[in-house]
Amino acid sequence: MPQRGLSRIELLQGTLDLIILQTLRWGPRHGYGIAQIIRSTSSETFQIETGSLYPALHRLERAKLIASSWDTSDKGQRVKNYELTAAGKKQLQAERSRWEQLASTMATLLNTPLGADS
Amino acid sequence: MSRRDRDLDDEIAAHLRMAIEERMARGESRADAERAARRELGNVAHVKEVTREQHAGLWLERLGQDVRYAIRSFAKNPGFTSVVIATLALGIGVNAAIFTIAYGVLLRPLDYPRPEQLMYLTAESPVTGNTQNALSAPEYAEFRQMNRSFAEVGAYETGGAAYTTGEVNLAAGDRPLRARSISVDAHLLKALAIQPEQGRLFTDEETARWTGTLPPPIAMLSHELWRTAFGGRPLVGQKVEIEGRPHEIVGIMPAGADVMDNHTQVWLPLWLHPNMARQRGSHVLYVIARLKDGVTAKLAQTELSTFLENWGDHAGTRDHVPTNRPLRPTDHSLQLRTLQDAIVGGARRPIWVLQAAVGFVLLVVCANLANLMIARAASRRREFVLRAALGASRGRLLRQSITEAAMMSGAGGILGVWLADAGVRALIHAYPTSVPRTSELAIDLPVLLVALALSIATALLFGFVSLGRGPTSSMATALKEGARAASGGQRHRARRALVIAQVACAVMLVIGAALLLRTVYNLKRFDAGFDRSRLVTFSMTLPMGSGEPETRAQVYQRVLDRLRSVPGVLGTVAMSGLPPNRSPDAISTPIENYTSDDGRHSEIIDYYQFVMGGGDYFGTMGIPIVAGRGFEPTDNASQGKVAIVNETFVKKVWKGQNPIGQRVRPPGWTFGANDDVWHTVIGVAKDVRQRGVDRPAGAELYVSLDQHRVAPPSMNVVLRTTLPPAALSGTIERVVREVDAAVPVVRLRDMDSVFAESIRRPRLLAQLLGAFAGLALLLAALGTYGVLSYTVTERRREIGIRIALGAARSQVLTQIMRQGLQVTALGVAIGLAGALAVNRLIASLLFGVQPTDAVTMAFVIATITTVALVASCLPAWRASRVDPNVVLRDE
Repeated sequence: MPQRGLSRIELLQGTLDLIILQTLRWGPRHGYGIAQIIRSTSSETFQIETGSLYPALHRLERAKLIASSWDTSDKGQRVKNYELTAAGKKQLQAERSRWEQLASTMATLLNTPLGADS
Repeated sequence: MSRRDRDLDDEIAAHLRMAIEERMARGESRADAERAARRELGNVAHVKEVTREQHAGLWLERLGQDVRYAIRSFAKNPGFTSVVIATLALGIGVNAAIFTIAYGVLLRPLDYPRPEQLMYLTAESPVTGNTQNALSAPEYAEFRQMNRSFAEVGAYETGGAAYTTGEVNLAAGDRPLRARSISVDAHLLKALAIQPEQGRLFTDEETARWTGTLPPPIAMLSHELWRTAFGGRPLVGQKVEIEGRPHEIVGIMPAGADVMDNHTQVWLPLWLHPNMARQRGSHVLYVIARLKDGVTAKLAQTELSTFLENWGDHAGTRDHVPTNRPLRPTDHSLQLRTLQDAIVGGARRPIWVLQAAVGFVLLVVCANLANLMIARAASRRREFVLRAALGASRGRLLRQSITEAAMMSGAGGILGVWLADAGVRALIHAYPTSVPRTSELAIDLPVLLVALALSIATALLFGFVSLGRGPTSSMATALKEGARAASGGQRHRARRALVIAQVACAVMLVIGAALLLRTVYNLKRFDAGFDRSRLVTFSMTLPMGSGEPETRAQVYQRVLDRLRSVPGVLGTVAMSGLPPNRSPDAISTPIENYTSDDGRHSEIIDYYQFVMGGGDYFGTMGIPIVAGRGFEPTDNASQGKVAIVNETFVKKVWKGQNPIGQRVRPPGWTFGANDDVWHTVIGVAKDVRQRGVDRPAGAELYVSLDQHRVAPPSMNVVLRTTLPPAALSGTIERVVREVDAAVPVVRLRDMDSVFAESIRRPRLLAQLLGAFAGLALLLAALGTYGVLSYTVTERRREIGIRIALGAARSQVLTQIMRQGLQVTALGVAIGLAGALAVNRLIASLLFGVQPTDAVTMAFVIATITTVALVASCLPAWRASRVDPNVVLRDE
């Protein structure tokens, strides 16, 4: 059902953006490559539909966090490569620290016993 | 297809290819690999669509798509589309038309430099109800001298007892022409800051020298008259004959220049007869003043109040000076208002009432269209659901709906503006003087902006409504069950609410229209004090320079004598002021053995009526004499002069005494005589409404000029005849030409037309409001019909089963009818409540009928109920005809 995919994009928007930026940290990649890395590294924890990837890529490109260029792959195919821009690198830093802060806060919160304050 | 779209296609294709290659490398078959890769990616069209939406720059392209799609869907449904566009055009058209008037008349600043600085000064006599009167010449001079707030104070005068009657005879080429005139002083032109297009303005010297018997022979022409009557040839410095006297044209006014919406064609120097210029009782000058820079209207008002505290000390007299506390009938106060307010005057409220009325019409139109859209949304539900399944996002569908609505609103708006333009033109053409400032009316930018705003607002409304409660809410069920399952309950409640709102709006409009129609009927039927059937009237003005009062009397006498001998003419008289729409005189008149409340031996008489053919006057006019007798031919031979007064005069002056035999002394200069002589009252006439049938009659004095053998320049001739004015016009023209070829016959018409003219504004208001109410009523009836038809269609199955189980068809019929009436009753109740809440708005526009008039309300309820019954009939009949066999087989 298309609707599930659509709502999944909305749900994970911020997270997915962060993952994409992180993936591009080591250099340019095309859409299929990004999808492969996400799938292999997250080991199916995130069920990101490949379909949500492209809207996210185009959104990030429009926000000038990543840039794209057409290239020819080693098999002679025309592919579209994405790479981080300077703004994208900065955004990645900011998002990472924000995410880490959120994660540690959540951990503290979840580990504090109920009624510990009173 | 754009480059971006191609790139996206390539990108997705590359993705799929790589995925397939990788899976095949892992040993999957091509078919399996393809299937798996596609499943992994998801709905390709949808992915593309969502990805494309990340680029907002695409909106233009998508708009093109939406527009193409909308046109296709319109073409499939031409009937629906044209009904919607026509309804919208009507709704937006009436609003744009009335707003054109509201903006042009009420809101647009006057065409003078710094118009907000211009103020209008009037005399108010609250005790007698005589408001917005002119000032006396001494008052004007004193105010000019006392004030510190104004940069310039000027005066003008258009008629009454002075130089002209607001119109002059003008010789352009060889034919006499009647032109609208105004007499202004140099100060007024400075206050208004008008610059001449050619030549010069009047000088102080020329407009303040009130000596001798005639004003200086100079004039200025309006740009328009100069173009039409003189072909725009060089005229400054040349002589043109005005009122039979050569006048030097000193200047040409710029196009559109005017004072107080007078439609001025000829500008003359202000001049008063020296006697009148001294009279405190003669209120003849209208005063316009320009505030100094930085002085507010409020400050000027405060200053005026201070003057009014002790005006008498300054003027050196207690006699007839303005005061802050007018307590007696003779007292008056002065009041400042902005010039724009003064020009708009009584037109303000009717225009806002109309604006409110068309607002209601637009609401009814919107409700009707919303209803149509809901019905259509139900039938398009499948289409939207299908498109959503094929990958259209919800936002995209909403956008599509709004595009369709915007296109229809746009078309409706354009048509509406065109309709408004045509309507306003037709209105001005048909009623050139019913609305002030009509010469400046045009559909300009603010009107277009309002029409645009209305179109956008309605477009948004439809767009949302037609999408209904959203196709994505229960997509799967909708797809399964199709259009039939459209969540009936809520939808139906919404439609009923819309119809109730429509009926309520229609009720309010119909009540307003009915009250105004009653008003017009009352005004028409109102007894103005004389018998107006079979009266024909025209007026003529004798050149002022060419004859003495005695010569003028002979000319008029000859005209009257000749007309009297025309077959079919029963009586012919002439009078100075034509009821029921003349201007007041307000002349201070000495009365024998009389002392007024403030110790004067005279009284202000509102109207002087100078009559010729006096022996016939009251008989010809059909004015009853209630005491004493009318004029008789023998009076003319006797030495003692006689006069007749009206009932109000008697009530005002001789309370409880016998008026017959009392004496009054009207000033001779008012009618062209040299001396003031005592007149003996010989009779009392019934009151005649002189200045509008809805205004109370004032004190009136009738003087027969046959006794004095003099006449003022302008007279109104009235004939009682069995012939229509058209049949008489040739004869009248010939008679007047034979007596004096230079005098044009003007305003030849029957007295019924004179009355129609006097009630033109309420009648126009009633007609427009009636048209709007009719429109609203029609739309409400269509709405009722629509919602009932929909109910019947929806409940066909239930009705079929009930009939199959033995319900009588008449029961079904009554049930549906009852539903229609329930909706109507609710609407009527809300409408009545609304009408009662806003009736103060129109109370002041009514005459002889209360805003809560029970008969009118009953009539309106009956009308609406009848309309609702008719609208419910067809659906109810259809319901009762439902064939259970057919319905149940359909299941």
